[in-house]
Formats: sequence, structure tokens, C-alpha cells
Amino acid sequence: MTELSLRLAVSFAQILAEMSIVMITVATLTYFERKVLGWMQDRMGPMEVGPYGLLQPVADGIKLFFKEDIVPAGANKAMFALAPMLTMVVSMIGFAVIPFGPNLTLDIYGMTIKPFVVADINIGILYILAIASIGAYGIILGGWASNSKYSLLGGLRAAAQVISYELNVGLALVGVLMLAGTMSLVEITEAQSGGFWHWFIWGGRPDGFFPIHTQIFAFVVFVISAVAETNRIPFDLPEAESELVAGFFTEYSGMRFAFFVSAEYANMMLVSCVASALFLGGWNAPYPGTIFEYVGLEQLAWIEHIVWFAAKVYFFLFMFIWIRATLPRLRYDQLMRFGWKVMLPIALANIIVTSFTLYFFPR
Amino acid sequence: MTFNTWLKTITFYEILVGMKATMSHMLHYRPVTEQYPHEKRTLPDNYRGMLALLRYDDGTEKCVGCDLCEAACPSRVIRVVSAEVPGEPTKRYSKEYYMDMTRCLFCGLCVDACPVDALGMTREFEWSVYDKRQLHLNKEQLLAIGDRSFPVREKQLELQHPNVAFFNVAFKHLPQKPG
Repeated sequence: MTELSLRLAVSFAQILAEMSIVMITVATLTYFERKVLGWMQDRMGPMEVGPYGLLQPVADGIKLFFKEDIVPAGANKAMFALAPMLTMVVSMIGFAVIPFGPNLTLDIYGMTIKPFVVADINIGILYILAIASIGAYGIILGGWASNSKYSLLGGLRAAAQVISYELNVGLALVGVLMLAGTMSLVEITEAQSGGFWHWFIWGGRPDGFFPIHTQIFAFVVFVISAVAETNRIPFDLPEAESELVAGFFTEYSGMRFAFFVSAEYANMMLVSCVASALFLGGWNAPYPGTIFEYVGLEQLAWIEHIVWFAAKVYFFLFMFIWIRATLPRLRYDQLMRFGWKVMLPIALANIIVTSFTLYFFPR
Repeated sequence: MTFNTWLKTITFYEILVGMKATMSHMLHYRPVTEQYPHEKRTLPDNYRGMLALLRYDDGTEKCVGCDLCEAACPSRVIRVVSAEVPGEPTKRYSKEYYMDMTRCLFCGLCVDACPVDALGMTREFEWSVYDKRQLHLNKEQLLAIGDRSFPVREKQLELQHPNVAFFNVAFKHLPQKPG
């Protein structure tokens, strides 16, 4: 009984820490995105609230918290309330299997806990795919329940787009699963330790440096599909502001709107975490071992690991913003054709090629 | 499809060119933004801002109530009620003078039409108000705007240099360059 409650307390602490990290990053991202977008477009971004607009996320949060909560007439109230919660919760719990740091174990009162991952389950990738699919329900529900043409159209587009690109995400990950032989994100990341040539984007073999198992095609497919799955520009058709006002969250205001927006940013972060854990070696540094180990501070090596993980995730997040600053929105038929006729065959071919190379040159 | 175009397609060449352009704009960061309430742009010399009624240096109003500004105005901004100066039957003045600045398009035709240079365009432009009735200005308000915008005033017409007085041309009320 005591052990159970202690385990529960530790889990709660981990979940609290993980959620606060995610929320702080989301708040930072809203500021960072507006700033970077501004810089790339010869503007300044937010400058008024605090020095260089640093308090803008706080001001936005307070504003959205005190805004009027409007439910449109004819809306399905229960579904209308459920949709933002569903999207938000789902985008948050996806982080449970992400390893933020090395696979350390701590022993406290006879319990073994892993401080840098909330739940190291052996079907981590399946869990993330399942959670991401449920996230599409929130969008579709929000679009349907609002009783608005724009919302419904946005929801329909989201349904088609998220489902077709979800498929590519799933297929792109298969090559990595075959290489690692496991679905646990912790073990996949551990399999890539020892320098950047072991990362699955190169798929290097331990006995040689020739990247015969390279997953770079899967990586490109994954990143493009991840952009599409999180409804980001240039694939932001569900919320195309020039066509559909704001798409599926046209009718949302106040905190519900904030839920949708922060869920979008959290989803961005989630796919960045998955991409860096699966293809770019997660917490592993691009050189073998860590600098802290070389100078004789093994117990501090986890700091370096976490820094590398954060650097990779922020690289992806920056790339998301960079792409947003560069590209215009795709047309709907272009989006569908690209998803089904380009991305899907590449992902399938990658599976076949990887299985052949693995059969003839096993790792 | 030639090999070159095929290569450009699979390497996302055109997207990379675009991304290079945005990145170069971020690295050579020269914002075109002006932080308006904190920094204000330099107005051009011929800036046409808020209208004002002017006075001579002894404090008498220039306006003679001739109604030409009202006739010249394309948007019917101005309403003049003209009257005789009490005790001086040969002279007239504007008893009441109203400007509805909500309609004004700042064309400057009234200033051109005025034979005695009683109207001037100031460099004021920050006139946003919460109640648009506050933009319906009467004579006192217009004179006050003129007083604060043109501290240097002309002499009475008959006291000016005869050549200038003959053509009734004066330049001192024109907005000066700042600084």
C-alpha cells in the first residue's frame, strides 16, 4: 500500500514536471514563432509588452482567460465543450512516452524509477500514433459541433488531411522499427548511441560507416507528413484563414480557443520530439559519449544529454516556423495528390528497401 | 522530364531557395517597422494636417466671414455665419464658424480659397476620439488649435510691408521643418 502510494506520488510528480515543461515550451513557442516570423518578414514581432515583448505570452494568456466564452446558437453544447478538451488532453498525454533524457534509473525505497521518461512502455510508437489519431477527433468534433459552415468545412478538410497523412507517418516509422527491433522510444534512442553515424537517419551499421540502411527518405516523409498532421503552413487547409476564417475553431473564443492553439503547438512539439528521438538519435550527442564523461563528471552527463535533445527539438520547431515564413498554402487537390501519390509510395518503397537491406546486411 | 528537373524536384530545390531567402532576411535583420507611439516619422514639409483659424499678432482674428472657404469645400465641412463688426458697418467677421472634421478630407482647398490667409493647416494628426461629436469643432476650438500650432503670427495687413500687403501673401505661417 505504501509502495503503491509512493509510486503514485512519483508518477504524479513526473507528470506535473512533464506538463509544466510542455506548457512553458508552448508559451515560449507562441512568442518565438511571432518573433522569428517577424524577423524573416522584416518586421519586429511583439515589442510592446515587456522588454522586446517578452511578456507577450503572459498577456495573451490573461487576455484569453478573461474573454467572453461564446457558444453559438444551434451548437451542440456538449460536443462543443468536449472538442477543445479532447484536443488539449490528447496533445498533452502523447509526451508520456517521450524520453527527455538518458535511460537512467533511480532507486528510491526499493522502487526503480526512470526520471526522464514518464512511462517507458514497450509499444511507445503505437501509443503515439493512436494518440495522434484521437487528436483528429477533437478537430472534427469542434468543426461539426460549432454549427457553422466554415467550421464544418475546416473539420471535413482536417478529417481527410489528418487521416491521409497519419498513414504516411505510420509507414515512415516502420523502417526505424525494423532497424531498432523495438517499439519503445527509450530503446530506439539507445540503439542510436555512439555518434551521429549511428542515427537512424543514416542507419549506419556498427561494423562499417556506409549508410546502407539509411532512413533519410523516411525522415523526409515523416517531417513533411508531420507538418501536414499538425495543420501547419503550407498544409494548414483546416484553418485556412483566407478561405475559412479560422477553419474548425472559427466559433471558439476565450480559453477554448487557447486550448486549440496550445494543442497545436504541443502537437508541433510532440512530432519534433518523435522525429528527433527516432531519426536524430534523441538525447545522444553527435559524437560518441559525452564531454562530461571525458572530463570525469559521469554523474552530470544527463545535463548534456538533455541539452542535445532540446537542441534537436528546437531545431525542428525552428524549421516549422521557417517553412511557415517561406511557403504559401497548398491547394486542396495538390495536398491530396502529394499525400497519396508521392508520400505514400515513397514510404512503402522505403519499407521494402529497408527490409531487403536488413535481410542481406543484418545489423 | 530531364535529369536536372528531376534532381531539382527530389531535392526540393525551389523550396530551399525560398527558405534561403527568408533566412537571409532574418540574418540581415533590418525591420521596416516604426514603433509608432514611441517613435514618429518625420512629416513632409507640405504635410496637410488639422485645420486651424489664425490670428494677427495683436490677437485679432483674420477671418472676415466671406464664406469662400465654405464654397470651396468639396465635403461641406465648413459652416460660416457671417456678421457685421458692431459699430463698423464696412467690416465683417465670422460670428460662428464650425468645422465637422469627420467629413474633412484634408484637400486644402479652403486654405487656398481664403483671401486673407485666415485658415492654416497644422501638422497635427493625432485626433482620434471616442465620441465623434468631439470632432465637430467651433470657432474657439479652431482658434485654439491655430494659437498652439502657429506661435509666430503675422502683423495686421495694413502694418505689413506694402508689397506683401498688396498681394496679401505671407509665408511665416507655413509649417517649418522640425529641429
